[in-house]
Amino acid sequence: MSGQTTPQDRGQPLLTVRALTRRFGGLVAVSGLDFDLHAGEILGLIGPNGAGKSTTFNMIAGTLTPTTGDIHLAGRPVGGLPPHEMAARGVMRTFQHNNLFAGMSLRENVMIGMHVGLASSLLGVITGRAAVRESEGAARRRADELLDFVGLADVREHDVTTLSFGQGRLLEAARALAGEPRLILFDEPAAGLAPAECDRLGRILQQIAARGIGVLLIEHDMRFLLELAHRVVVLDHGERIATGTPEEIRHDRSVIAAYLGSSARTTAAGGTDA
Amino acid sequence: MKTVVQAALVIVVLSAIGFLLGPWQTDIYRKLLLWIALALSYNFLFGVAGQVAFSHFTFYGIGAYAIVILVTQVGMPLPLAALAGVALCVVLALAVAIPATRLDGFYLALATLALAQLFIVFLNEGGAVTGGTGGLASYRLPDIAGVTLSGPRYTVVIVLLTTLTWGVISRLDRSWFGRACRAIRDNPQAAAAMGIDVARTRVIAFTLTSVLAGIAGMVYAFVDNTVNPPIFGLENAFLLLFMVIIGGSGSQFGAVIGATVLYLLPFVLAPLIGHHHALVFGVVMLAVILVQPRGLVGLVKSRPGAGQ
Amino acid sequence: MQDLIEILISATAGGCIYALLALAYLVVLRPTGVINFAVGDWGTVAAFGGFLALSEAALPWPVGMAVVVIAAAGLGWLTERIAVRPLVERGAPVLAPILALLGMLVIFREAVSLGFGPDPRPIPQPFGYGRIEWGLLAASYQSVFIIAVTSAVFVGAWYFFERTLAGRSFEAVALDRRAAALMGINLARVTSCAFAAGSALAALAALLLVPNTSAHYLMGIPLAIQGFTALVIGGVGRTEGALVGGLILALVEQLTMRYVPIAPGLVQGVPLLLLIVFLLVRPTGLLAARGGSA
Repeated sequence: MSGQTTPQDRGQPLLTVRALTRRFGGLVAVSGLDFDLHAGEILGLIGPNGAGKSTTFNMIAGTLTPTTGDIHLAGRPVGGLPPHEMAARGVMRTFQHNNLFAGMSLRENVMIGMHVGLASSLLGVITGRAAVRESEGAARRRADELLDFVGLADVREHDVTTLSFGQGRLLEAARALAGEPRLILFDEPAAGLAPAECDRLGRILQQIAARGIGVLLIEHDMRFLLELAHRVVVLDHGERIATGTPEEIRHDRSVIAAYLGSSARTTAAGGTDA
Repeated sequence: MKTVVQAALVIVVLSAIGFLLGPWQTDIYRKLLLWIALALSYNFLFGVAGQVAFSHFTFYGIGAYAIVILVTQVGMPLPLAALAGVALCVVLALAVAIPATRLDGFYLALATLALAQLFIVFLNEGGAVTGGTGGLASYRLPDIAGVTLSGPRYTVVIVLLTTLTWGVISRLDRSWFGRACRAIRDNPQAAAAMGIDVARTRVIAFTLTSVLAGIAGMVYAFVDNTVNPPIFGLENAFLLLFMVIIGGSGSQFGAVIGATVLYLLPFVLAPLIGHHHALVFGVVMLAVILVQPRGLVGLVKSRPGAGQ
Repeated sequence: MQDLIEILISATAGGCIYALLALAYLVVLRPTGVINFAVGDWGTVAAFGGFLALSEAALPWPVGMAVVVIAAAGLGWLTERIAVRPLVERGAPVLAPILALLGMLVIFREAVSLGFGPDPRPIPQPFGYGRIEWGLLAASYQSVFIIAVTSAVFVGAWYFFERTLAGRSFEAVALDRRAAALMGINLARVTSCAFAAGSALAALAALLLVPNTSAHYLMGIPLAIQGFTALVIGGVGRTEGALVGGLILALVEQLTMRYVPIAPGLVQGVPLLLLIVFLLVRPTGLLAARGGSA
């Protein structure tokens, strides 16, 4: 697919990452990483195992503090903020292993994603203030819309423990969207999905980006990623070795070299005919 | 509006019962209502927010002692003493919760266990202020606006306490706050990713429920017109935990059922096994955890505590 | 001076009891992440076992002690089978076994109360009431016995955890249960052993304590609290932390009692305050040993 407008010409990036570095003791997991991500863009982050993808992801999500370097969201510095602060600033994430709230319905799970927008005075909650009830009702309706968007509307009252793995993935996407984010970080969303489920998730990611939300995608499934991403950043040993459109990345020698010997190489090669 | 009517109806019915009972039944009825109030707020803390705290009964005791001391020894007017008691509960709850809930794990259990024991030591050694091991007695509730609240009229006060606790807890439970608490209980990491300030939410849940326990304690203080250390010890803290677990952790109905069953069971069991009902509680609680983690309420409802 | 030395020795002996209890927590906490409040009531059951073996049956101390400690290990094994294993197998959160063990605590205590009634039961001193006096050093036989047994236990525990493969496997399970499973460490067996050892240690602590205090069915909760206070003070990262924590706790307690002019009742509050202070200033201890399971 590709061939879309290159997002660089859209003015100020949504997310800028500059000289981002993270050390664990003596090990440098990410070193001097630079990249930008624009609103409405799907940016893929790839690299062999141990390349520093997850470390980068976790620094942007707030679960890891950068050792040095800057992360800016819409021009404001956000590096080192805790996860809930990142979420409050419009950065939502999904988890590699489904991280749903068990014992709650799908709808409630999505409503938890709306926490930042819903949280109001507890006094209002206790006294049953009308405004609180109204926003609760509105949240419920919006949750149902989002569940409809990801195609889970008919099971919205069910307990999440009854969902299949793939449905859980879709629910995570809906939950991340519920926070009205500016940026969603997807941590290997296609892992463990059947092909049909992958397609569905891919379409949802495209629709999310079409709403003007930035999407940062870490993915092992190269075919999935190269099909969806507008641009790709390739990491190896904690450093950026290439940036470009999926087409450029497919033919980049350093990328192919980095993947030599790993099974991903065949996947990457197989991706060319997609 | 409908809920207001329902609530009023419940209050009227529960109060009316208070006017029909003899002295012995009144005593049981009042204490049952107090246990239910405590179980409701503790269920929110333990069952909904997932905090293992042993201090709930301590705050009940703090409320009870505070109001008696402030009214009889300091000579404060009742409303002011009640406010001061609430303030004391807030300060103490924050002092415990801010350091203890900052971290995962069972710090809160340890810290609150220590607090509970410390409170008893303090009561025993408090001299004339706390009355030592004998506690405080021979005081009575001051008249409020010229009205003497005693007998069935005081039962109405307890009914109001229990229904208000139910109302506050159920509103919290069904709000964004209750969802945030459940989210943290199930998965703090994912909760934080949703924008929930985990530490802050935990502190608020602990403080709010502890204050509710303190208020219940203030009401309790004028039930027997005596407060003494053994009432507020760990025994009852454990009993409260058992009530919530056996009734159905996380469910308000479960809390009511658990409190009712465990409070009334000893009266039934006494002729059979004397004072060893705690053994039965232990066995039942173990069985519930092993076999029916949703508690007694889980036997009736298919999906308890998921909100409506 | 002699007074101080005698206090130091008796505090050391008291600290040894706390240290054994802390170790009883630690051997369970390390591989399972479970903080087992039933430790104190394992001690209660063992104390009454000691009453039966040493007072009623009048077995010689070494025999009676061995019998009770071995029986206690069996009790620990049984506790794990009943209250922990089914929950772990079901994949219940780590809180579930902790609560189930609270249920066991009550069952133990009430069973003892049912069997022996509310009166304290005496247990004979292993070496009578004699004292050793050696220059400035003066100590009761019992203190010396406690210190000797505890030293031996801690040397053994240290050697086991730091130097043997089996001991290392406890550590590995604690750090990463999944990795431990991959390494072929038998989780179920480690957990069983941990509970058996924990109960044996609690029994040892109780047996060393009761000749001075006698057995009572309500002795469990104070033992449980003293044990985890020592554990929190000493930290859970290292085996010797339990010993250090126990000794610090007892020293502070005894020195306060002797030299600080407060009511004796209030002295009971000192360890609790110490616990709260340590939770405030050193809040890393317990977390470090908790495995990934939350």
